[in-house]
Amino acid sequence: MTSESAASTRPPPNRAAGRIRALLIVAATLGALVLLVPQLATYHVRVIDTVLIYVLLGVGLNMVVGYAGLLDLGYVAFYAIGAYSYAILASGQFAIHLPFALILLIGGCLAGLAGVLLGIPVLRLRGDYLAMVTLGFGEIVRLLLNNQVWLTNGPQGISRIDEPFLLGVGLNTPKDFFWLLLPLVAIALTLAWRLEQSILGLGWAAIREDQDAARGIGIDTTVAKLLAFGLSATLGGFAGVIFAAFQRFVDPVSFSFWESLTIVLIIVIGGLGNLVGVVVGATVLIIVPELLRGYSEYRMLLYGCALVAMILLRPRGLIDRRYNPAWLMQVLGWR
Amino acid sequence: MTLRLQAVTKRFGALVAMDALTLEFRPGRVTSVIGPNGAGKSTLINLCAGSYRVTSGRILLDGLELQQAEKHVIARAGVARTYQNIRLFDGMTVLQNLDVFLYPEIVGQTFAEVFRPRLSRQIKLQRSARCMELLERFDLDRYAGQLAGDLSYGNQKLLEIARAIVLRPKVLMLDEPAAGLNHGETHQLMKKLRELIRPDLVMLVVEHDMNLVMALSDHIFVLHQGKLLFEGTPAEIQTNRAVQEAYLGSPGENDQIREAARRRENRVRIRADADITRHRSGAA
Repeated sequence: MTSESAASTRPPPNRAAGRIRALLIVAATLGALVLLVPQLATYHVRVIDTVLIYVLLGVGLNMVVGYAGLLDLGYVAFYAIGAYSYAILASGQFAIHLPFALILLIGGCLAGLAGVLLGIPVLRLRGDYLAMVTLGFGEIVRLLLNNQVWLTNGPQGISRIDEPFLLGVGLNTPKDFFWLLLPLVAIALTLAWRLEQSILGLGWAAIREDQDAARGIGIDTTVAKLLAFGLSATLGGFAGVIFAAFQRFVDPVSFSFWESLTIVLIIVIGGLGNLVGVVVGATVLIIVPELLRGYSEYRMLLYGCALVAMILLRPRGLIDRRYNPAWLMQVLGWR
Repeated sequence: MTLRLQAVTKRFGALVAMDALTLEFRPGRVTSVIGPNGAGKSTLINLCAGSYRVTSGRILLDGLELQQAEKHVIARAGVARTYQNIRLFDGMTVLQNLDVFLYPEIVGQTFAEVFRPRLSRQIKLQRSARCMELLERFDLDRYAGQLAGDLSYGNQKLLEIARAIVLRPKVLMLDEPAAGLNHGETHQLMKKLRELIRPDLVMLVVEHDMNLVMALSDHIFVLHQGKLLFEGTPAEIQTNRAVQEAYLGSPGENDQIREAARRRENRVRIRADADITRHRSGAA
């Protein structure tokens, strides 16, 4: 921030040149990816896809937890709603076969609606109490998925989900999904960053800092919080739809409390409220367990230790607030 | 616009904090409310801001009945306040602390800000320009990028007042603006407050620092146990015997300062203790 104000007093640098440089760097990165990704083993691309899905989830949850300061421990419910939207609307379960793009829309909307519906009763709750209710909500959704056998096929899950088509192209391999996820993640990050910078983002920050004072300055906290819940849940829904299309199989086990916890850990370890932190957090939290696959029974122990270590050593997360997207743009020479 | 209290009563259980009080605050002048602790001064501000609900009576801002309006609706109607204990958004920068006060006015532009980058740049420049101008008026512009929590106590107090007037309120209520400030800072504050007086602004000040009150006010209400004890100009107040006995120069004043300091954070406490010492040596 200080560097920003310092920059504004200097004469403006040649912006066009900076932008060309930034675009060249981005183009070069993309070119490298186009060449590199086909060379990678399917397993590696699959891991990268998982990271990207978790980045989506992290960006979504970050809106509620990082921006508005509302601890949501049941975020996986929206992920599940998105995933089951695709599983039910594009499989033999009810012999409905809607196109992928349409379900992406439906799943997002359904999850967003669920987010607002969860938001309404918990508006008056803060901190621990909010965390408990959202945790309960996540469990309720998982139990419904488990027990409403007529709808979800219960613990057996829904298999033989349709192959997704987008613009006539079938998405089959992890590599296909990589090229779907990459632009989606880029768009999600861009919009989230703009939202963070917008007046609504400032309003969320005010609610996070001091809710009563926020109301005292004319912020309708009800609307602002419901927007946070709704937008965040929508993103979770999108991620869920893509996850179901990617796995071509969903069951309730994928949406346990641990999943919620993983997403919370991603944003806490990366740096709360910082989008660069979300990306780093997702990368670390997905890739490290993959590297330690042989010791997978210790995964939660590892997470727990990592969390304690973070709280002791870097309570603000791995990535300092200074290293935000604005800093990144400056490094690239965009502004 | 005139702010009127009509027979306002506020009870907290058995305690009557405000007893059928009728007051009028006119625009274009500074009206102070003084009185010993428990007189109902802060209660008055909290009632007008919608933080408390009246037990009975009406609070009118011209035609608008504030006593039943939601807090954010009152704020949007043009009633701004500062808090006795500073309530800045510590984790946000000084500039953001001002920016966010524009929320009620421009929240509708959020969509444009997110989806139309060029327009959003314009919106952001506009709102920053408006806020920077205000920061300059309060000599805070050089701290614009700093976190509000890192400012000195005096500057935090100034910032609180600066943000209260971002939206050009019709009613400005200041709850002990000078509490915890040293003499130099109080003097500075008085100058800034004088500059704020506008013909259409109702300015309501609750303050313990009598020097500030006497120098700044056009009209003073003296409250005592939730009732109006006396009202008049500073000169009239200073010569009134009842007021003298109830409040001014009473030995309890130091206790009040100390009590106010106890409620604040450590750094403030140290400064307030210094104030008390100065107060005593000044009196002796």
